[in-house]
Amino acid sequence: MNHTLVLRTPGDRWSVKLNVRVLVVTLTLALLLAVSSVLALASGSHPTSFTEVLGALAAPEQSELALIILEIRMPRVLMAVLVGGALGSAGLILQGLVRNPLASPDVIGITSGASAAAVLYLWLGGITGTSLLLAPVAMGGAFAVALCITTLAWRQGISPYRLVLVGVGLAAALTAVTTLLLVLSPDSTAMNAYIWLTGSLYASQWHDVTALAPWLVVCWPLALIKLRHLDAQAMGEDMALGLGSALQGHRLLFLVLAVALAGSAVAYAGAVGFIGLIAPHMARRLLASGHTGLLPIAALIGSLILLYADWIGRVAFIPRDLPAGVFVAGIGAPFFVYLLYRLRRDPG
Amino acid sequence: MLRHTGLTLIAICSILSIAAHATTVVEHAFGKVRMEGRPDRIVSLYQGATDTAVALGIEPVAVVESWTEKPMYHYLRPELQGVTYLGLETQPDLERIAWLSPDLIVGASNRHRTIYPLLTRIAPTVIPGNVYDFRALLTLMAKATGRTARGEELLAQWEARVEDFRTRIRRKLGDQWPQEVAIITFRADHARIYYAGFARAVLDELGFVAPEDHRKEGWGIKLTSQESIPAMDAEAVFLFMEDDPAVQRTFDAWSSHPLWNNLQAVRKNEVYQVDPVTWNMGAGIIAANRMLDDLYRHYGLEQPALPCTDCKGCGQC
Repeated sequence: MNHTLVLRTPGDRWSVKLNVRVLVVTLTLALLLAVSSVLALASGSHPTSFTEVLGALAAPEQSELALIILEIRMPRVLMAVLVGGALGSAGLILQGLVRNPLASPDVIGITSGASAAAVLYLWLGGITGTSLLLAPVAMGGAFAVALCITTLAWRQGISPYRLVLVGVGLAAALTAVTTLLLVLSPDSTAMNAYIWLTGSLYASQWHDVTALAPWLVVCWPLALIKLRHLDAQAMGEDMALGLGSALQGHRLLFLVLAVALAGSAVAYAGAVGFIGLIAPHMARRLLASGHTGLLPIAALIGSLILLYADWIGRVAFIPRDLPAGVFVAGIGAPFFVYLLYRLRRDPG
Repeated sequence: MLRHTGLTLIAICSILSIAAHATTVVEHAFGKVRMEGRPDRIVSLYQGATDTAVALGIEPVAVVESWTEKPMYHYLRPELQGVTYLGLETQPDLERIAWLSPDLIVGASNRHRTIYPLLTRIAPTVIPGNVYDFRALLTLMAKATGRTARGEELLAQWEARVEDFRTRIRRKLGDQWPQEVAIITFRADHARIYYAGFARAVLDELGFVAPEDHRKEGWGIKLTSQESIPAMDAEAVFLFMEDDPAVQRTFDAWSSHPLWNNLQAVRKNEVYQVDPVTWNMGAGIIAANRMLDDLYRHYGLEQPALPCTDCKGCGQC
């Protein structure tokens, strides 16, 4: 049943083991994502046909149509794919790391750290502050919180259990700080902050795409190479050590990877929640595999969720443009309930 | 003689061509923009700009929705029959703006900073520095739309009215002038005192003064506890609130509190409810004139009939 392909370089220096089912599921999801992206590119408040979209993609020219498709829709669709993918994979890594299916960037405080930093920045800057530094500041907040959690949870190494508890505590404290800052802010700042906190891809531009992409280009391959150590850890600390996996070093690496993925995504799209929690679960329901195989699947599912959530926010209430974060929960929550229901009826 | 005529012709031609392609460089909060001629296709991305465009005699091709009386404030509706709506001020529909290919976009510095690069790709965009300064907004938009004469006329009318109001109210109130007034509002779950904003700016220009405690930095303060009611005190209080049952409940609760009845403005019966659209949301020259109309009526002052051509609802003719 579990066919595997093994690709080897001459001399057996490098080899890659590919599970056929993982490959099939990944390619199917990738195809679905590609089709959905074109669909999203072709719809918006100004009606455009597929031929017009393909024409604009093939031969960019100076026209309103090209501006709409290439400068307004395209970066937004790409950001949905990248941010969703980053959150989905960050959730998978965190859930594996703390061996708890309820862990996710928004639960253990990473998103809260980014949010508090972003709202603080908006509050200090008021209406005169530029938004250029918003993303780096939010990212800094995510890393600062991760550092705090690690330091506080450190007891001769990272204990996953303590990591979750400290994270949840810090998240609660930071949410309080965010609320306080919102109360102190004037209306227009508070409104900007609320949109950021819901998570919106409105007005995504090419510079956002080029700023976010490098993080993923570094993090994803690194995660693919290293995630097999998470499988070893899943069998227990002693087993992982027995198999020759550097337990604490890898835990630290995975934490940094998860923070970098979730932090960069949240920094550019705002505090989109839920994807980090739900995408790994959906991936695991699709197939049973190690973390390496689940990574692309969780990422693709995350991309699909955010792409459709943003598409609904953009198209369903024209001319109003609603934050994608609203619909992520709308799509994700029913699915989550369904998953739990299935899990109860059909354990295993 | 012939040579002379030729030279004159050349001179006339060059003057005409300059007039046809008159280029103005307009400086605004986010940079400079070159405007040619007298653009008519204008997109307004905030309420003050919509009000000001109407005052200048322009019907924008597209505007954002108003905050109440959706989709547009009643006082502006007659002038905006054929306008396209772009959704909310916070997230206007960019595709629709692009497709309308406007000549000029007017945005706000506090809302449209992130989309400004996209807006400039669509059309020349101007952003006024301060959203509450309706005079600067009028000057900026008049310049950008090649309607400086109309802009100056509106400002001159405004200044004449301000001067007249100050003379009359000084005569009426005598040693009670300048009067100390507070601007407050009620929301569904709290009350606010405004230290700055559109209404405060107009009242300042008219010569009213703010209570000592309200002369502070920042927009104002949110009051969440009824214990802070005394902070609202002034010789007179202008109060505006939206027509909403939840807001009314808050007001009823706060205004039945003993501390409320202890305010000097309440004891002297000097708390006046005014229209939130005029006093807080319109934020343009028309709203300012309507606010002044309210004040003339409120203090029982007689309005002089100023000659005004092509009036856009300032209410004085």
